[in-house]
Amino acid sequence: MNERDPQQLVYVIDDDEAVRDSMGMLLESADLPYCCYSSAERFIAEHDGSQRGCLVLDIRMPGMTGLELQQQLAQMGSSLPIIFMTGHGDVPMAVEAMRHGALDFLRKPVNEESFLERIAYAFDQESGDWRQKLDRDQARQRIDSLTEREHEVFLLVAEGLANKAIASDLGISERTVEVHRSQVMKKLGAKTLAQLVRIYLQSE
Amino acid sequence: MAKNSQPAMCSPVSGGDYDRLETLLKNLPGMAYRCLNLKHWPMDFVSDGCYELCGYQRHEIESQQVLWGDFTHPDMIDEVDRKVRSAADSGQPFEVEYRIIARNGQEKWVWERGRAVDRRSDGVVILEGFITDITDRKRTEAALVRAEAYAQAIVESALDAVISVDDQGAIESFNQAASSMFGYRSDEIRGHHCRSLAATSFYREFDRHFQRSQTPTKIPLTSIELNGCDKHDNEFPIVLSMREILDVGEKKYVILIRDLTQQRLAEREVREQRDVLAHVDRLNTLGEMAAGIAHEINQPLTAISMYAQSGLRFLRRPQPQLRRLEDALEKLSQQAHRAGAVIERMQEMTRPHQSHQEDVAAEHLLQEIHDLGEVEAQIRNFIIVLRLDDDLPRVKCDPIQIQQVILNLLRNGMESMRANHCKPGSKIVLQARTTPTQVRISIIDGGLGVSRKLEKQLFQPFATTKASGMGLGLSISRSIIAAHGGQIEFNNNKTVGATFSFGLPRQPD
Repeated sequence: MNERDPQQLVYVIDDDEAVRDSMGMLLESADLPYCCYSSAERFIAEHDGSQRGCLVLDIRMPGMTGLELQQQLAQMGSSLPIIFMTGHGDVPMAVEAMRHGALDFLRKPVNEESFLERIAYAFDQESGDWRQKLDRDQARQRIDSLTEREHEVFLLVAEGLANKAIASDLGISERTVEVHRSQVMKKLGAKTLAQLVRIYLQSE
Repeated sequence: MAKNSQPAMCSPVSGGDYDRLETLLKNLPGMAYRCLNLKHWPMDFVSDGCYELCGYQRHEIESQQVLWGDFTHPDMIDEVDRKVRSAADSGQPFEVEYRIIARNGQEKWVWERGRAVDRRSDGVVILEGFITDITDRKRTEAALVRAEAYAQAIVESALDAVISVDDQGAIESFNQAASSMFGYRSDEIRGHHCRSLAATSFYREFDRHFQRSQTPTKIPLTSIELNGCDKHDNEFPIVLSMREILDVGEKKYVILIRDLTQQRLAEREVREQRDVLAHVDRLNTLGEMAAGIAHEINQPLTAISMYAQSGLRFLRRPQPQLRRLEDALEKLSQQAHRAGAVIERMQEMTRPHQSHQEDVAAEHLLQEIHDLGEVEAQIRNFIIVLRLDDDLPRVKCDPIQIQQVILNLLRNGMESMRANHCKPGSKIVLQARTTPTQVRISIIDGGLGVSRKLEKQLFQPFATTKASGMGLGLSISRSIIAAHGGQIEFNNNKTVGATFSFGLPRQPD
């Protein structure tokens, strides 16, 4: 198993107490931190976007179903990977879940090895997502510090235009473009053009 | 014979006395006579009653123009003659009844009593006596005999055993049906106590009933059901009623017994057929519940599998965590039992079941049914709300069959709710209320309700609105509830859906 982000938790949401408890024990035996919820509503009540890790979600529950929770989280901008579980194994629901970006769909009783593998995979993916999100946030923050003119120059540089073309595009002197450009590189913390382009891409 | 010779033949009677005697004789309801005991009894004295009796005047008889023997019916004259002769010979009085033919040809029955009073010198015996018309009495007697014969014929041809007993219970008569029912000939059972017709285990009950029949009461006696016992010690179910016969003198009772064997067989057949159909319906229900059941079993299996894996992992650690392993195993075992219980419940439904009613705690029964119903409700994403009165009493019922009925009604309700596009999480209510005699159970759904058209075929077997299902549910449910002495009632709710309800008899506290 890969190096783990200590902030990552497995959020187990299942209305069946025994299933919750046994899954908790399995995660414990694999040294994975976890947190159990008996309903989707309870999870939503605590969710504030800071949660890290992945969801293990029973697809059918009294009250809010797994699919409904998935949709609500998507609307809230959450990118937590979701592993669905079902005791019924009905295909239409699985298709629906996968179409909405579920990481996987496991049938109960689950194969523990592959279950833990999927958790690890979900954690990796979420780590990546998380880093990407951090990078994006950072990139956006830096881009936000640019003046209007600097921002214009930055966008044209990122598009690959030469100083001369930028100067003519913006109707300013080449010299002024150079000054703005060096200011942009400094504010964004980019040493090379390649680094600047990456920041641009990260911010998207 | 001359009139003036009479006093000479008579016992000494003075003239005035004779007149009085004459008046007396005139008023007698019949005819007094004196005659010779010769062929056809020539009369030398008859009283005025002769005219009414045979249509001849005194003088016609006394002059012996007609003889008494001429009136006597030819079929009977020899017998009368024999009796009179033998009495006369022995000096005893005689009494005979016979028919005469009167002057107008009418036949009459007469009664005659007489005796020899003297003997003429030539040895001919002189008789005196009295003859009276008993036609009416004879007619009544004949009617009585006919009535008795009629009654006897009815009793003998009755399909039920008709037995009469004295006030001690000794059997006096035993009709044909009784003989064939119990195997005794009427003469071999006569005199035995009627109790011996009951099976030994029912003697006490029988005696109590007999005693009650003997105590005068205005309340009509009900019949009792018990086991009879025939000559060969075979027991069979009977229903028996007893009544006092109004008879002159000592009290007598008539006992009517009907053999219930055939009736019981027919009842059992109906019950067995219902059981078989109910079983088929349960299997069918189980089939329809399969998805829910699979889920019910899958949950503990999932847990078992994960506890087992966890246990292995705790064990395989460089430093095995035995405490956690122990926890895992304990929980695993609990879940195995949980799965077992689910299977046990299902087996109960699949097992052929002979209906029998028992004393059941209503609350416990309904809680169990609710849990089982939840299996299906979850699949449909509905919620069963259990609404019970506090302190529900105990009821008399067959729990498996009642479970079947309620599950049926819950499933129908949920089907109807689905057809009515009820939202996930919609409720169906299982309610129980206590009444003075019953626990009233209602299933209140939010479905389409019962339409006029549906109403008619609701309880028809094999009528169904569902794509799956055999349409047996409600018809079986109805016969199950009927066997519990009730009926399934339904009405549409004011707002939406329908309510189905029935009562279960309360068990006396």
